[in-house]
Amino acid sequence: MSIVEIRGVDKTYQQGKVFVQALKNIDLTVEKGSFAAIAGPSGSGKTTLLNIIGGLDVPDRGDVRVDGNAYADMTRSGMAELRLCRIGFVFQAYNLLPVLSAVENVEYVMQLQGVDKKQRRERAVAILDEVGLSGRYHNRPAELSGGQQQRVAVARAIVSDPAIVLADEPTANLDSKTGEGLLQIMEKMNREKAVTFIFSTHDRMVMSYARRLIHIRDGEIENGKPME
Amino acid sequence: MDIKIAWRNIWRNPRRTIIIMTAVIIGIWSMIFLTAFMRGMVVDMIENGIATLTGDVKIYASGFRSDPALENRIRNPGPLAEKVQANLPADAHMAARIRVSAIAQNARHSAGVTLVGIDPAEEAGVSFIGDGVATGQMIRPGNPVDIVVGKALLEKFETKIGNKLILMSEDAAHEMASRAFRIRGIFSAELEATEKRFVFVSKSAARGMLQIGADVSEISVMLENHDRADAVAEKIAAAIDTEAYEVRTWKELKPMLKAYINIFDGYIILWYLVVFAAMVFGIINTTLMAVFERMREFGLLKALGMRPWRILRAVLIETAFILLIGAAAGNTLAFSMVYAIGQRGIDLSMFAAGFEYAGMSSVIRPEIFAGDVVLANAVVICLGLVVSAYPAARAARITPVEAMARN
Amino acid sequence: MKRIFAALAVLMCFAAAGHGRINDPDPRELVKGAVNYLRGKTSQAVVEMTIHRPDWQRQMTIKAWTEGRENSIFWIAAPPKDRGNGTLKRGDEMWIFNPKVNRVIKLPPSMMSQSWQGSDFSNNDLAKSDNIVDQYTHEIIDRQTHQGKTVYVIRSLPKPGAPVVWGMQELKIREDHILIRQAFFDEDQELVKALTMEKIEMLGGRLYPVKWKMQKADQKEEYTVLDYQSLEFGLDISDRIFTIASLKNPRL
Ligand SMILES: Nc1ncnc2c1ncn2[C@@H]1O[C@H](COP(=O)(O)OP(=O)(O)O)[C@@H](O)[C@H]1O
Ligand SMILES: [Mg+2]
Repeated sequence: MSIVEIRGVDKTYQQGKVFVQALKNIDLTVEKGSFAAIAGPSGSGKTTLLNIIGGLDVPDRGDVRVDGNAYADMTRSGMAELRLCRIGFVFQAYNLLPVLSAVENVEYVMQLQGVDKKQRRERAVAILDEVGLSGRYHNRPAELSGGQQQRVAVARAIVSDPAIVLADEPTANLDSKTGEGLLQIMEKMNREKAVTFIFSTHDRMVMSYARRLIHIRDGEIENGKPME
Repeated sequence: MDIKIAWRNIWRNPRRTIIIMTAVIIGIWSMIFLTAFMRGMVVDMIENGIATLTGDVKIYASGFRSDPALENRIRNPGPLAEKVQANLPADAHMAARIRVSAIAQNARHSAGVTLVGIDPAEEAGVSFIGDGVATGQMIRPGNPVDIVVGKALLEKFETKIGNKLILMSEDAAHEMASRAFRIRGIFSAELEATEKRFVFVSKSAARGMLQIGADVSEISVMLENHDRADAVAEKIAAAIDTEAYEVRTWKELKPMLKAYINIFDGYIILWYLVVFAAMVFGIINTTLMAVFERMREFGLLKALGMRPWRILRAVLIETAFILLIGAAAGNTLAFSMVYAIGQRGIDLSMFAAGFEYAGMSSVIRPEIFAGDVVLANAVVICLGLVVSAYPAARAARITPVEAMARN
Repeated sequence: MKRIFAALAVLMCFAAAGHGRINDPDPRELVKGAVNYLRGKTSQAVVEMTIHRPDWQRQMTIKAWTEGRENSIFWIAAPPKDRGNGTLKRGDEMWIFNPKVNRVIKLPPSMMSQSWQGSDFSNNDLAKSDNIVDQYTHEIIDRQTHQGKTVYVIRSLPKPGAPVVWGMQELKIREDHILIRQAFFDEDQELVKALTMEKIEMLGGRLYPVKWKMQKADQKEEYTVLDYQSLEFGLDISDRIFTIASLKNPRL
């Protein structure tokens, strides 16, 4: 069963008088439970593609369907609702609210989701334990290392069992060892919780963790076939 | 949690928060304190005006107001006084007095004064002279030579207690009447003009000098609450012969006071707007800065699925915190200053000439009116929130893609 | 020796007391006589009044009629600017007439103590100069000599309750009833102002002080001088002259 279905998506950005075609006629299907990497050099369109999947950006042309929802038919608040409850995001950096501790950052999205107060703390603590952050619940982002911060972001993304987690170069700001640790956690979550992961990277080591590699270059997918 | 986040956010830049809070504190303080100050002046003017032989309600013979001559006195005031008394609330005080313009004279000086014949006991609670004298003794009822004069008059006349003061006035038969009095006491009043204007003798001394039998010039009534003057006046008017007598309230007797009160009300609103206008720039500026610095966070929150109205609310909660804390501190400061100044008041005698002119005393005792406090706080908090809605809306409208592009 | 001491002691007592000599005249009669002497039964006079101030001086000529202590009427004859301004006094009351507006006003009490025409005489000085006789008790406190005549120094104290402003007056009256000096004191017995008669000459058939000087205490350069140009006594003056109607028609 596919969780992401993209047909004929184009996206062009205008920067001054220059038009940059970030995505060209993209067709992509991602199956449920995948652990897929979008791989390509800088500027190839990885972020744009993830943004469109996540509903943060709107394609110029083409259809996007995620978890059974056709984006073209959805209202803005419907999109917000979908992102809030069904999609987890992990960005390259600045994923967390600096004024909240690790556990509070996780709890906060749950509050937005409407999870009741008692459950929030329990679930936040449990998920932080799972990503290996026992004992760091009450640290603010500034008191955590880059790897720990990204793990909090992963914890937040999966805490409410989303249909899919989109991670845009989650290891780009980490050293390779830490990056590997993060990927192991993501992989573990993918396996244990059957959460679909799509992450982008230009790092070979990271790609090696993916069970499916989607190569993108100059806005075009080179190889959409699954590795499995 | 929104509250917790807002609270922590405002302290991310303590310097900026403290600056804007200080602006709010000063704003609220100045609104409340200076308004209390102005109110103090107005209340003072009213109290002075009413206590300076005006009273809340006054009853005259018809014609006395336009021509306060002896002919227009209240003849045989007994039955009238009884009717007035019968229509007063229990806590009211009443005094009948004789007043006539006269000349006070001693060896070196002379001046026009208002000769007032009173019963000191009756004046207690009715006029300032009922509070007694500052120096010396009060006139004795029935005494033919006792006189109490104001401090300023005493100084102007270069005289002292025990000295003679000659008073001259026209009597009921239009003959020049003069009588020698002995200064028995000195009263002090808020206004120098009052101290120079009035001299007090016993009713019988005034009656004897003016040859008016048992007559009086006016009956003055003092109420616990000045606002009840109209109702009491109506009741009295219904009970007495309004052809022969006039019933007037302090508002009619002192139209200037009423006008001042209205002017002051206008000033207060204007003052609030001026202070607020000054604060608005600070509030908008600070909120905008705080919002622009954190656009990335708002973008993240929107990416995570937070609705725009919740972001708007989050920003407004932060502003509300600053406004509420500032307001609380400003109120505390204003209230404690007013309390500290208390009954001692602030002496503005440096500028007293001008105040005297306006009928105010040089010592101002600020008075806090609940309505003013509510208005000041409402203006600052409500309008403060309204103006910070603009930066908040900017935060709410940001899209995640825009926010991420701001590297 | 004892007798001599006793006599000396008696003498010293008299000297110390300074009054009470058996042959002294009644002080009240002296004062009354002096007032009557100045006024006569009736009189008609032309007086030049000089108001002197540190930086200016003003002169005017006044024509006056008096009848006893009660009534007087006078008009300004010169300078032309003030000509016709009149004052009528009947008893304690006064009226003034201004020819420019052709109006008579009764002086309200407030104006009685003000100066008459800017001089050092107040309206009261003019209206009430006779209450010295009845409102005060008089006592001779000293004797002096003036141009060969005895001068009685009289201390006049207001009677209790008398509606007069002075704490004391001191009069110097010659045995021939000519007033030499009248000094006005406040209640603390401090001099406020004094009227001094500077020249005594034959005028109107009798010896008369022809130059009066009213001066405030401690004001060397502020005084008013009355200079009698002519004076007649005992004229047959019609009663009608001391009326408001008459005030409106200056007899100049
Ligand atoms: N908001 C934007 N405005 C203009 N050009 C953009 C914008 N976002 C991306 N691009 C351009 O689109 C292309 C793809 O960018 P992006 O998706 O960020 O690539 P990647 O994530 O693979 O580095 C690049 O050439 C980039 O410059
Ligand atoms: Mg990118």
